[in-house]
Amino acid sequence: MYSIETKNLVKKFKDKIAVNGVDLMINKGELFALLGTNGAGKTTTIKMLSGLILPTDGEIIIEGMDMKKDTLKIKEILNVSPQETAVAPNLTVKENLEFMAGVYQIENKETKINELIKQFRLNEVLDKKAKTLSGGWQRKLSIALSLINDPHILFLDEPTLGLDVIARKELWKVIEGLKGKITVILTTHYMEEAESLSDRVGIMSDGKLIDVDTAENFIKKTGAKNFEDAFVAVATGGEL
Amino acid sequence: MRMLNFAKRNFLELIRDPLSLVFEIALPIFLLFIFQQFNIPSEVYLLENFTPAIVLFGFSFITLFSATLIAKDRSSSLLIRLGTSPMKASDYILGYVVSLVPIILVQDILFFVTAMLMGLDFTVNMILTLFVSIIVSVLFIALGILIGSLVSEKGTGGLGSVIVQLVCFTSGMYFPKELVGKVFAKICEILPFESCLNIVRAAFNGNMEIVSTRNIITFIAYTTVVLAVAVIVFRKNMVADNKQ
Ligand SMILES: Nc1ncnc2c1ncn2[C@@H]1O[C@H](COP(=O)(O)OP(=O)(O)O)[C@@H](O)[C@H]1O
Ligand SMILES: [Mg+2]
Repeated sequence: MYSIETKNLVKKFKDKIAVNGVDLMINKGELFALLGTNGAGKTTTIKMLSGLILPTDGEIIIEGMDMKKDTLKIKEILNVSPQETAVAPNLTVKENLEFMAGVYQIENKETKINELIKQFRLNEVLDKKAKTLSGGWQRKLSIALSLINDPHILFLDEPTLGLDVIARKELWKVIEGLKGKITVILTTHYMEEAESLSDRVGIMSDGKLIDVDTAENFIKKTGAKNFEDAFVAVATGGEL
Repeated sequence: MRMLNFAKRNFLELIRDPLSLVFEIALPIFLLFIFQQFNIPSEVYLLENFTPAIVLFGFSFITLFSATLIAKDRSSSLLIRLGTSPMKASDYILGYVVSLVPIILVQDILFFVTAMLMGLDFTVNMILTLFVSIIVSVLFIALGILIGSLVSEKGTGGLGSVIVQLVCFTSGMYFPKELVGKVFAKICEILPFESCLNIVRAAFNGNMEIVSTRNIITFIAYTTVVLAVAVIVFRKNMVADNKQ
């Protein structure tokens, strides 16, 4: 059984086809990077896979369950850290964690919260309001919040966008720590991020999933000298 | 409960915005106080008439600030995060409504205390008014949800102010509608704010003659329709805003 499986996934907005016939098969515990230029359809794909918006066509199967029928059950086992940091601005870090624990009706609330505080070293900012945190801390909090329900599947939409090198490397460590335990779908613009973190990479362009392989194989296949060039070759169909 | 958990968060979010407290509480109290200093020879400024009017005036700011909260939640993509959680549509709507009830009660009590300090006697009708004003506030909260789901954070200020102005001019809180003319009086009757004020005034004075059947029908009709439309628009727009 796949962690995530889609068949001919399509999303149309009025006359714009944002996602066009995507077939995905993602294994349990895999870290899957979804790459593509701006507007390729990554965020829309994640929104459909996380049950936020309905596909225009196609099927989504999460751990053997059909998204159309078992939406609420599926929502219990996944979580998302959206592209824009989604935290409650006037709540402190601690209150944000408590709020999300309430949203998922977590049973051992205190234990789980303390575990996340430790894992993300949130202690020093615990009583600060979320809106006063730096971009890096907000991202970290956003990801910590998305782990509150021990998700089997985690979607990270551009988790390191706009962060400085150090904050980014720190987040990489956190994401690497999740590898193997939960299925992670990560979208990013940073090629080295996809290359160093992911088990496999899917390259999207213009709503289509062009190819799926390991970063290493993409380099081999295209004969490029590095992964960035390989990405460009695949995303543009070899025109550049 | 998921709904109460969300209500608690909304409540904290609202009371930690000092500007909202100034408009929801300090400004109405100031107006209540200042208009008593002028001795204007009109019945509407008698404490027993003006205090319930101030209650309604306070509600118009509830509309403004609940709209701002919802617009902010949509733009900060907090609602995207919540949209992927097992929360249901009813959890959101009730969560917004319930979070405002404590603020409404505090408003009422502070307004009543101010009126009593200026010479109004305490009556049991004030307790009755607490209950009635929670019911009336549903219309103002629904308007807030509707505005917050329709426009961006920038737009909520403008549309919210329209509600504040409509309450001021069409509810009869400052002057009787007949003073302006027939057409204006008709507009006041068609809009719900005069009806709201009559309902709150009737409760506050323990005098049911103040409120007409038309007032009650108008209030119920507006509240039902606005709430229904607000729920539909909220559900539709909750995550549709996509900046990329
Ligand atoms: N709500 C929407 N309405 C209309 N078009 C949309 C909407 N959301 C996304 N799109 C369009 O769909 C395409 C894919 O967007 P998106 O999934 O956000 O891309 P990515 O995340 O890869 O940058 C873009 O052309 C975008 O403009
Ligand atoms: Mg995106």
